[in-house]
Amino acid sequence: MSADGDPKAELRVIARTDPPRSKLNDSIVVLSAGAAALLGVVFAVSLLAGGPMVLYGGALAGGLLLLAVAVRRYFTDRFPDIEAVEPREIPSPDDTDKPLSDVAPLGPRRSLLKRALIAAGGVFGLSLLAPVTSLGPAPGRTFTTTAWARGVRLVTTDGDPVRPGDVAAGGIATIWPEGAIGQERSSVLLLRLSVEPVPPTVLEWVIADFLVAYSKVCTHAGCPVALYRQQDNALFCPCHQSTFNAVAGAVPTFGPAARPLPQLPLGLDEEGYLVALSDFVEPVGPALPRA
Amino acid sequence: MTPLFALLFDSLDERLKLRHPSRKVANKVFPHNWSFLLGEVALFSLVVLVATGVFLTMFYRPSTAPVVYHGSLELYDGTTLPGAFESILRLSHDVPGGLLFRRIHRAASHLFIAASVLHMLRILFTGAFRRPREVNYLLGLGLITLAFVAGFTGYSLPYDSLAGTGIRIAYSELLSFPVVGDRVAFWVFGGDFPTGDVIPRFFVFHVMIVPALIIGAVSVHLLLVGRQRHTQFPTHGVDGHAFIVGKPLWPAQFAESATLILWIGGLLTASAVFVPWSDISLLGPYVPGEVGNNAQPDWFMFWIDGALRIFPPLEFSVLGLMTVSGPFVAGIVLPGMVFTGLALYPFLERKVYGLRGEWHVLTNPLDIPLRAAVSLGTFSFVLLLSAAATSDILSRLSGISIEDVIWIFRVACLLGPPVLAAGIYRYSTKRLRSRGLVVATDEQQATSQAGGHGAVPAAVTPPARDPSPVSGGE
Repeated sequence: MSADGDPKAELRVIARTDPPRSKLNDSIVVLSAGAAALLGVVFAVSLLAGGPMVLYGGALAGGLLLLAVAVRRYFTDRFPDIEAVEPREIPSPDDTDKPLSDVAPLGPRRSLLKRALIAAGGVFGLSLLAPVTSLGPAPGRTFTTTAWARGVRLVTTDGDPVRPGDVAAGGIATIWPEGAIGQERSSVLLLRLSVEPVPPTVLEWVIADFLVAYSKVCTHAGCPVALYRQQDNALFCPCHQSTFNAVAGAVPTFGPAARPLPQLPLGLDEEGYLVALSDFVEPVGPALPRA
Repeated sequence: MTPLFALLFDSLDERLKLRHPSRKVANKVFPHNWSFLLGEVALFSLVVLVATGVFLTMFYRPSTAPVVYHGSLELYDGTTLPGAFESILRLSHDVPGGLLFRRIHRAASHLFIAASVLHMLRILFTGAFRRPREVNYLLGLGLITLAFVAGFTGYSLPYDSLAGTGIRIAYSELLSFPVVGDRVAFWVFGGDFPTGDVIPRFFVFHVMIVPALIIGAVSVHLLLVGRQRHTQFPTHGVDGHAFIVGKPLWPAQFAESATLILWIGGLLTASAVFVPWSDISLLGPYVPGEVGNNAQPDWFMFWIDGALRIFPPLEFSVLGLMTVSGPFVAGIVLPGMVFTGLALYPFLERKVYGLRGEWHVLTNPLDIPLRAAVSLGTFSFVLLLSAAATSDILSRLSGISIEDVIWIFRVACLLGPPVLAAGIYRYSTKRLRSRGLVVATDEQQATSQAGGHGAVPAAVTPPARDPSPVSGGE
């Protein structure tokens, strides 16, 4: 037993009980292992035969659980129950005095050379970070512009241009710039308010006294401000509950948003369709990292 | 040993010299307590995640490009869907076993993260992080962070309506970094949201980079437990500082672990049969500009979502150079502070109480007032923030206006944790004093104090020095 002579490898037993051999236990092992194997076959066959998930999934689950029972039971009376003790390794002061390697450097210490190597490694390592900048283009004017511009028509998600009469009183529609449907930062909410808007809404961008358009991108974390509570004319973001007053320039009235939803300058083209008079004047969406 | 196994082992042993190290490993002693199994549950969930994940990877298509779905799910037959969403519908409804393995993967992800968090709490409460195990504690915190990243990227891959909204918020969080946010967001997303790059990149993170890091870190985590040995609860009549008492790896610990992994596999599979874990066919694909009610992330992100919800409006410019905003403070700084606090706590406790030497015996957190206060304060804070992520649902269920619900959470998150922390600090200080005890500065003192009230006698039973041969193997 102790042929290898390492005392650490020996088991120091402090208590030992030999469980009685039990015929019942043997039967449980055989039965549960057999049933597990059977369920394994049921799993395989029913999966191959295109059976329902309840059957092959249930068979797999049952098989695994029965296998667990078989394994547990196998060990129950197969081995003595051992309580053992093992000394913890106490750090000894002799060890900490020894050098990490027995090969020591020659001659006087040359810390300049060492520092040169460390500095060169650091500078070189930093230079290797340069490819990170290839992972994405420079943002440029991405965050200060959208697809809206003078004369761009408002279209629905299906691409249909919109006339003022298309939005019913108290109605709300998700609108895109023509040619940029699905371009998330340009999404707009077109509302027909039930009361006349007041400043800070820019009144000359309001069509037919009640039609007003705001950016749909929440100024908090960029979720779509998708809900309109008609009773208090509030625009509501389902993500973090930012609330905006649709009648008064979409200023935030509650929740974590700090800035109003920018208003889209609205106009009509000669065919009577709604168009933008320009891009948004204010930046759209969450705060930008630089002022 | 069965003859075949013996033959195989002997021929390998001649070449690799396995006998001695195998004996050493088989004889390693493991202390027993149910809470020591939490880490094992996480480990075995990881095994299930890898096994099912490999299967899912065979079918998943990391793309947001539109594809027409033709398959057995009538609701979506003939509709145009993002490639990722379509591939998961096909996997779930047209590949035999696909739905089962996808659901097992999803259930295992919940169990993996839940067991990891509970394991960390056990370490925190009982003081298993103390010297010499600080390194492994920090590694564990890193693992929890990686588990969150794996969970979030996995939640995003189906590109369903909730996933798209979650990705949008993550993008805004990156954007919120002062000065460099737009650059960082573009580096991660490859351009402005929603780019075609984000799903392929999340896929690489989810199936390659993060799992590789997790498996590597878990391996080191386990090697360090093996090297430093397990901590143990105070045992009657045993000097736990110098000795480990428990059952050997073979057969007791092996039997327990083998049973546990089979139980976990069986229960996860059973849950997958009966629970439609994240049925994306009900959520629908992500459509830019749309989001429904009940926009909640996965439960382990609730605390960050809750912080975003209750944090008051904030956006200011610093010297005209950079912008600091609510999403940055609530979504980046605050979670960063919680994790930094957890990482620094072992060093704080050692400093505050002037602790000396190594610690191998676990303690009741009530014996260390600072630990009771910090862990209860942090934990209650995270739980309250998590509850705040359900503010819209709570408001609908209770009839209380959403504004009032948010205000209740604002007050509760600000006052609750400090009050609880102060309360338990006072309670545990009094408790110590009433027993005539102080916080022990080294483990010997702790052991003899415990002996003072009868739990562990100071007298140490010398272990049996002469190894008695153990029969019973074949």
